[in-house]
Amino acid sequence: MAQLRKSDLVKNWLLGYSSETCYNYERLQALGNANAFIPIIKRLYKEDQYAEEISKYMNFFNTEPSYMGTVIHGITAAMEEKRANDGDITADEILSVRSALMGPLAGIGDVVSQSIVYPILAGVCIQLALAGNYAGPILFEVIYKVIMLTLGYNMYMMGYRKGKSAIISFLKTGLLNKILELVSIVGLMVIGSMAVNNISFNFSLIGWEVTNEIGSVAFNLQTTVFDALLPGMVPLALVLGVWGLLKKRVKPTVIILLMFVLAFATIGLAALCGAY
Amino acid sequence: MVVRAILVALIATCSTWWFSHVITRTWLYPIWSGFLVGIVMGKPMEGMMLAAAINLPYVGFITAGGSMPGNAMFAGSVGTALGLVSGLDMTTATTIGVILGSVAVMIWNAYMSINSIWVHMADKFAAKGNLKMIRFCNYVPSFFVSLILNGVPAFLIVMKGAVVGDWLAACPQWVIDGFAMVGGILPALGVGMLLNFLGQKKILPFFFLGFFLAQFLGLSTMAITIFGAIIAFIIYLFGKDKEKEAA
Repeated sequence: MAQLRKSDLVKNWLLGYSSETCYNYERLQALGNANAFIPIIKRLYKEDQYAEEISKYMNFFNTEPSYMGTVIHGITAAMEEKRANDGDITADEILSVRSALMGPLAGIGDVVSQSIVYPILAGVCIQLALAGNYAGPILFEVIYKVIMLTLGYNMYMMGYRKGKSAIISFLKTGLLNKILELVSIVGLMVIGSMAVNNISFNFSLIGWEVTNEIGSVAFNLQTTVFDALLPGMVPLALVLGVWGLLKKRVKPTVIILLMFVLAFATIGLAALCGAY
Repeated sequence: MVVRAILVALIATCSTWWFSHVITRTWLYPIWSGFLVGIVMGKPMEGMMLAAAINLPYVGFITAGGSMPGNAMFAGSVGTALGLVSGLDMTTATTIGVILGSVAVMIWNAYMSINSIWVHMADKFAAKGNLKMIRFCNYVPSFFVSLILNGVPAFLIVMKGAVVGDWLAACPQWVIDGFAMVGGILPALGVGMLLNFLGQKKILPFFFLGFFLAQFLGLSTMAITIFGAIIAFIIYLFGKDKEKEAA
C-alpha cells in the first residue's frame, strides 16, 4: 500500500509555485504541473508507470497557482493516492476534475490576489515608499507573502483532506463572496484616497491676466474655476473618465495614448497663454 | 558598474522567469522589483521612490491566462534602473516606466510564445517517463529565454542608459513639462482599472467616501485603510444579526 507522506504533500504544494516557470501560450501551466507532481508520482508508482502517470499533467492547465488554486493540487494528490491503491480512479477522472475546477478557482484566486490583496497593499505601501519610508516595500513583500503562503498551504491541505465535494459546497455557500465584498470596501476606500494623493494633474498653467483702466483681473482655469467648484474635481473626473472608457472596452494602451494627448494639449493651451 | 549591471540583469530576468512564486510572486510588481534594483545599484532610497512612482499606473494590473495590459515587470526593473542612471524625477519616471512597459508587452508575448518549444521537448521525455528531464525543461531553457529578452536590455540600460537623461535635458522645456504632466495623469489609469474590477453598484459609494476623506480631511491612505476595515467589520456584524433574525 503506497501512501503519501506529509513531506510529499509539502513538496507538491511548494513545487506548485513553479507552475509558471516555463509559462507559455500553448499549454500555460502544464509543464509546471508535471514538475510539481514528480514527488507524488515517485512515491506512488513504479518506474515503468512513470510515463503514463506523468503524461496526464502535460495537458493544458491554467488556474491561479499561488493563493487559491493550490486546492486543486491537494485534491489531485488525494485522487492519485486512491488510484495507486485501489485503481478505481481513472486518469480521465483526475483530468476532468482538474479542468472542471481550474476555471472557477482562477476566477476567485485572481480576485483575491490581484484585485484585493495586491491593490490594497500596494496602495498603502506606495504612499510610504513615495514618502521615503523603507517600510513601504518591506511591508509589501512580507504581508503579501504571509497571506499567499498561509492561504496557499491551507487550501492545499483542505483539498487533500476533504476532496472535491467539500470545495464545491464551500464555493456554493457564498461565504467567500461575502468576505470578498467586505474586503472590496476597504479596497475601494484605498483607491479613492489614491485618486487624491497620486494624481497630480491640474490646469494651473492655463491662465491670463487682463489689465485695463478699471484694474487688472487674473484668470486661472484651475484656481478660479475648478478649485472654486470642487477641489479635487479634475483627478476625480480623470478616474471616472478612465473607468467609463474601460467599460466601453477601450484598451489600456489606447487610454495611455489619450493621456499623452491630454497632457500635450494642455501644454499647447498653456503655450497660447504665454507660458513658453 | 559591470557587477551592478549584471545583478540588475538577473533581477529583470527573474521578474519574468518565475522560478518559484514563493520568491518571485512579488517581483511582478515594480514596488518590490524596483526596490531590489535600487539596492543592487547602491541607491536604495532613490530606487524605492522611483519604483513606487513607476508602480502607480499598475495598481490595477491584472494578468489572467497569460495576457497582460502592460509589462509591469519590465517597467519596474528596467524602468527603475533607467531612472537611477539617468537621474529622472518621480513623475517623469512614471511616464518613462509606462512607455517601457507598453513597448515591452512584445517581450512578454515573445517569452510566452518561445516557451511553447520547451513543452514539446518535455512531451518526449514524459513519454519515456524521464522525470529528471521534465524538471530540466521546466526550469532551465526558459531562464535563458528571459535572460536574452529581459536581462540583456536591462544590462545595456545600466551601462548606457545615462544617455536618456542627456536626451531629455536637451529637449525643449515644453516637452519636459509634458512628460512630467503625463506622469501626473497616469496614476488615474491604475485607479480607474481597479474601480472597473471592484466597483459593483452596491459598494461604489465607498470609493467616493475614500476620495472625500482624503480630499477634505486630508487623511493618509493608512488612516483610510483602517477606517475602511472598521466599516467593513461593522457591516459584517450587522449582517450577522440580520441573518439571526431571519433564521
